[in-house]
Amino acid sequence: MTAATEALSTAQTQALIRRLTALADDEIILAHRGGEWTGHAPILEEDIALANIAQDELGHATLYLGLRTDLDGSDPDRLAFFRGADEYTNTRFVELPRGDWAFTMLRQFLYDTFEALWLEAATRSSYAPLAAVAAKAVREEKFHVQHTALWAERLALGTEESRRRTQTALNELWPHAAQLFQLVEGEAELVEAGLLPDLGAVHARWHDLVTRHLTGKCGLTLPQAGAESAPRTVHTEHLAPLLAEMQRVAREHPNAEVW
Amino acid sequence: MDSHPDTQWPRWEVFKQDAPGRPHQAVGSVHAGDPQHALLTARNVFVRRPAAVSLWCVRESDLLTATPEELTTRPAVLDTAGEAGTYHLGVKRTHKRSMTFVDLVGTVQAAGPGDALRQAQAAHPDALAWLVFPDRAAVRTDEDPGTVESWFAPAKEKTYKQQQYYGVIGRHIGELKRAGLMPGRAPTEEGA
Repeated sequence: MTAATEALSTAQTQALIRRLTALADDEIILAHRGGEWTGHAPILEEDIALANIAQDELGHATLYLGLRTDLDGSDPDRLAFFRGADEYTNTRFVELPRGDWAFTMLRQFLYDTFEALWLEAATRSSYAPLAAVAAKAVREEKFHVQHTALWAERLALGTEESRRRTQTALNELWPHAAQLFQLVEGEAELVEAGLLPDLGAVHARWHDLVTRHLTGKCGLTLPQAGAESAPRTVHTEHLAPLLAEMQRVAREHPNAEVW
Repeated sequence: MDSHPDTQWPRWEVFKQDAPGRPHQAVGSVHAGDPQHALLTARNVFVRRPAAVSLWCVRESDLLTATPEELTTRPAVLDTAGEAGTYHLGVKRTHKRSMTFVDLVGTVQAAGPGDALRQAQAAHPDALAWLVFPDRAAVRTDEDPGTVESWFAPAKEKTYKQQQYYGVIGRHIGELKRAGLMPGRAPTEEGA
């Protein structure tokens, strides 16, 4: 227990754990989807680049779960490899199958922009351990945004085929992206106390930035579809198979000493 | 060559600077559709772990290279025409190590790439290879603090680690060895 964790009430601690876990779960699942391109990306250099981005996201998950460990002593590896789909709290947005390159880059762009903005706001958290983690991770995330924003633009302005694919990806992803901005239980109190960024404000900035890029620079059309409202505990049929693959080795050798 | 056209994106030579004051070194290449794409990809491919402070990319078609052997068999390379201006000179000095790079050693005013190559040869006669390109051909990372912070700073904290470090289940092998839980080496004849 550090001085920072002792200052939290029980309700605050529980809400903070929920937010940290939600962030980590999104990172783990999206990193897995990114990793699925290893050996399959359109060109070797992008294969390496996306694997690096996915690894960074996994690193951020480690940071978030490390913060959770400080709060409840939980083991990050147990959380990642031994929870089932009904216990994971990631958004549907990140668990959707990887699709084509346009879908992958557009999802990563929407997600990177969210994470960069959230982390930037989190650097001002009154919870010092979170502010420190955010300051570290936000640097990488800003670079991710540059890479994936460039891809969204090149694909949208590329050929007729790439434009069509990018617009199709946007149509499918847009409603699901809204789920990133749902509050977890008790989060409003933490925002009030200055411990967590105001998701509403982050959402407004995100909407402004991605709209300007996607419609202004890329010439895409934002779909009219309504926002996804499913809670983070309700998943699509795509999560369970993903976890089965991701957790296979850990679950087959639960007591492995070395591997 | 024409029967096998290269359908890949253009190739860009990547020059990485490890620290302020150090020369930019040619560390490899990336295929990319445009200058900005080349820089972003080069960052992901070449600045994952080692420290760096600046990246340049130069399109392959803007480079002129030659070895002493090539200059002997094709001296006309030194007459390669092109625009006059500032040229960067690169020199490869050794091939003794597994990874040896072309160092950028400075700039000259030249009448064209052939002339720049001639100046490189004259100034560095013992080099194993020379490389020149016009200054305008280099695409460079921004030098503002924001770029340095997001492109290069994170890599400094990512030191190389042995594979065993990443064991996420169970204990590190070193820990088991210290606890006497790992079988030792088979006794040798001498020891027996």
